Amino acid sequence: MQSKTRFVSLLLIALVVSFATYSAQASQAEDKSAQDQSKAEAKAASDIKSAPSDEGQLATVNNAKIPAYAKIYLAPMPGGFENYIIAGLRNKKVSLTVMVDRSKAEYEISGVSESEKAGWAKMLFIGSQQSNEQASIKVSDLKTGAIIFGYSVHKGNSVRGRQSAGEACAKHLKQVVID
Amino acid sequence: MSYCRSAVGIAIILMISAVFGAQAKDAKNAPPSEKIPTGAKVFVAPIAVFDTFLKDAIAKKKVPVEVVASRDQADYEITGAAESQKAGAAKKIIFGNWHSREEASITVSNIKSGEVVWAYSVHEEASTHGKRSSAEACAKHLKEAIESK
Repeated sequence: MQSKTRFVSLLLIALVVSFATYSAQASQAEDKSAQDQSKAEAKAASDIKSAPSDEGQLATVNNAKIPAYAKIYLAPMPGGFENYIIAGLRNKKVSLTVMVDRSKAEYEISGVSESEKAGWAKMLFIGSQQSNEQASIKVSDLKTGAIIFGYSVHKGNSVRGRQSAGEACAKHLKQVVID
Repeated sequence: MSYCRSAVGIAIILMISAVFGAQAKDAKNAPPSEKIPTGAKVFVAPIAVFDTFLKDAIAKKKVPVEVVASRDQADYEITGAAESQKAGAAKKIIFGNWHSREEASITVSNIKSGEVVWAYSVHEEASTHGKRSSAEACAKHLKEAIESK
């Protein structure tokens, strides 16, 4: 009888301990996600920090970081610019995992790009046959929907066209990825 | 006594499952370790007309992959974008250059996992052999990536 009582009490203690651990973990995760969400909501456009770089404009939400090897999806962009960004991410060794399936990703990169070839006037007067590249990307958290990073680049004389613009985006994205 | 043993056993199992659960959570964002194996079946998705040049270049540069005609038979898929611009009158007269401007970017992804395993972009301001040059550059670097492992 006594052993039965002991068994029941031990089992109850084990269950209570495991539930307490689980609920503590769950509440921690919930708090973290709630904090992130509230931060993302609270930090509206006024809280977005803007920092001019060499040829582009970088904007990050305060303390916004992307964890290393986070799964990221690149939405289709005009002229297949997403492929140049993927190549740039690889070239600049940005520690992110690129996914082709949006449902498997945690973050999404979307944006626009424009490329303008050098005209005869540019070639004649400036002596430059390099193109004019413009691109702008934003990174959003697919769970919360918050935009955590934005970057735009403009290159008047892009030596390597879209490749340069893609690499510039990747280089600046690396700044917000935790290594 | 046997009740006590079983209770201890249950407690141990619960603790082990909690520890493994936490570890699994931590290992969520592990670095990708996938490489393209030699002889992998690759499907080249349509990229305007560049895919034809790319298939030809893969064969010419002896890239150790097997190009298949159907996506269902493949392990990996090559997608991308390419653009070609012929030299205009200004380029010909002012710079004396007849060569075209080539841009291409390709991405190799694992069809099953949906993970991008390799990517490369090329830009040639004055491409001697047009699309053929950029396709061969892509194939050459793909071969290096496979053989370097």
